Amino acid sequence: MPKIKAYAPGIYARSEELVQATRDLDRGRTTEDAVEKQRDADVRSFLDAQRETGLDYLSDGLLSWQDIFRPFDEAAEGLKPGPLTRFLNTNTFFRAPAVEAERLRLAEPLGEPYFRISDLPRGGWMATLPSPHALAVAAASDVDPRAVAEGVIGPQIRWLAGNGCTMVVLQETELFGGEIDIYPLHDAIHALKSPLPLALQLPFGDAGNVLGELVELEVDAIGVDFYATDIAALPRPFPKTLLAGVMDARNSLLEEPEEIAEFGRRLAEELQGELHLVPNGDLQFVPEKIAREKVLRLGSAAKILKEER
Amino acid sequence: MTEIRFVTREIGSLAKPGWRVKSIAGRPVEKNDVEDAQKWGSQLGIENYDELVNDILVKATGFTDEEKARIQDFSALYGLRLLENAGLDVIYDGEQRRSEMYDHAVKHAHGFETRGTVRSWDNKYYTKAAVTEKPLVETVYDLHEFEFIRDHTDKVLKVPFTGAYTIVDWSYDEHYARNGGLLGATAERRSEARRRFGIDAARDVVRPNLVGLVEAGAEWVQIDEPAATTRPEEVPLVVETFNATREGIEARASMHICFSDYNCLFPHIENLDDCYELQLEFSNRDSRETGTKAEDRPGYAILDRFRESDWDGKIGLGVIDIHTDFIEPPQLVRDRILYAAGVLGPERIEVNTDCGLRTRTWEVSLEKMKNMVEGARLAEAALNGS
Repeated sequence: MPKIKAYAPGIYARSEELVQATRDLDRGRTTEDAVEKQRDADVRSFLDAQRETGLDYLSDGLLSWQDIFRPFDEAAEGLKPGPLTRFLNTNTFFRAPAVEAERLRLAEPLGEPYFRISDLPRGGWMATLPSPHALAVAAASDVDPRAVAEGVIGPQIRWLAGNGCTMVVLQETELFGGEIDIYPLHDAIHALKSPLPLALQLPFGDAGNVLGELVELEVDAIGVDFYATDIAALPRPFPKTLLAGVMDARNSLLEEPEEIAEFGRRLAEELQGELHLVPNGDLQFVPEKIAREKVLRLGSAAKILKEER
Repeated sequence: MTEIRFVTREIGSLAKPGWRVKSIAGRPVEKNDVEDAQKWGSQLGIENYDELVNDILVKATGFTDEEKARIQDFSALYGLRLLENAGLDVIYDGEQRRSEMYDHAVKHAHGFETRGTVRSWDNKYYTKAAVTEKPLVETVYDLHEFEFIRDHTDKVLKVPFTGAYTIVDWSYDEHYARNGGLLGATAERRSEARRRFGIDAARDVVRPNLVGLVEAGAEWVQIDEPAATTRPEEVPLVVETFNATREGIEARASMHICFSDYNCLFPHIENLDDCYELQLEFSNRDSRETGTKAEDRPGYAILDRFRESDWDGKIGLGVIDIHTDFIEPPQLVRDRILYAAGVLGPERIEVNTDCGLRTRTWEVSLEKMKNMVEGARLAEAALNGS
């Protein structure tokens, strides 16, 4: 049995109270302060749930992020938030990054409130960032993924390394469908020069067609959505750590920890690296009460497997 | 030679007036809402709008169920007249009685339970439901809506229905995916669960309401499938659910798809049974400059694939961008139509907005639609030589 870990990357769900507060803010019925107080409560509640269930790396849930690209669109020189665009596989929307200049530069890496380092245990938390390739492909105009890596995501990773972050999960949303050329992604990841372990997670989609190539990337782990990917598509033996997307963040149906553990046992037989149990994408796509229950069950499933080691 | 004429229409939704939203939601109707009702009532020639303004809305709050029903009727009438005023050939009521396309469909069905709020983008949210048992609709829940519209206009009506595939894709699945062991399953097993849900949704959720409206006189039903290409591998299921929905229905049936990758539709649309038309969004991706050459009309490049396809239905050409307040000049509309007519032949083209105009003000919507109609007339003139 490989080493088992569990954690919850990505944007977490907002509580009904935070939903209402942000709605009220948009309608001029409450204040920024009131919203931030509720957001603080949401962050604490999410951290408590993760601790309670024994997740190995904590996440602050990115509760200030409007979408996975937005903080960088707003902070990086050469980028700005662009047109509202549909994330097809979740039927939600994001602002496609609009490129204003050839040279992209994150002069001031994102700190609080985008990363709640004061609430997170130094050496015990993980961060989620957009893959530079995903940001470039999702952009409303042409931009080189390498430029995104060098100018925007790379500096952010170095800042995270200096602020107690343990690992980074790169969300790669742009590798599904049609002919996929892995080289721009490979090039961008190389350009990151990451001092932290990197995982590349493909949320909400069938990764089967590209897994053979992804294992060649300069990352420590690959994340696979097993609600969209046939287990038979996994290269064997799998040479890296596997972020197994075993909690379906697109469905409200609650998974049974024992069933997840049973699936984990099947995966464990194929791995050379560690087995990390994660949701198959952002938990923001289910209501918070359901997201919380999924987090608790994720920890329970990991506990079963850890006890078997 | 037959003279060319392009049929014009909106897709479905219009914004709901503040007086309609607030009164139904139990919030106070404000002075500016009443002024809005007065202004549009006068401008559109709404019959008896004084009753709405002076007898009902003047209360501002505490409306009875009967008054709320009258407000809904007036809202439908305002929507209807706005579309007539724009000069459209085919109309409905701007979906004034409906909450939102997904919610409207599932709240009338057994077998769905609301699960809570999820984010659409930024601070915008929607309520999402889960299918928890085999779903079933037992009432013709849009009957009053249809009969009211039918009784208040002589225009051709096109009734929008939320499509079965979109209901599947936008719902959580706590029934078909249960006990299925879908974690790590083959694509075939996963798709079988979705297929069973899709066919049930078509036959037992969409059809009962649709059949009832056709029996009440609806001659044209539009199946809305904005989720059609969400999962490209499931486009055959979109086609299958359309066919299951319209099977044996004696009415014109068309399908609306928007903000999607239309490449995914090929070749599957060739299997659509008697689909009169696909109403599609294009202008959102097009240039705002006039011109009828291919390089002038990048948003319409996909039309080449429709020309090459064996599917030979009509295209409802989206010529108005519903995401911006930019008022398309009639000349731009004309050129979009002329380009499409050149690719597919004018006989395959009808004209509409990209999608429903519910995110635009009525002022903007009216201007856009009037220009759409004027642009259609300009295109006809160009082709008919008049």
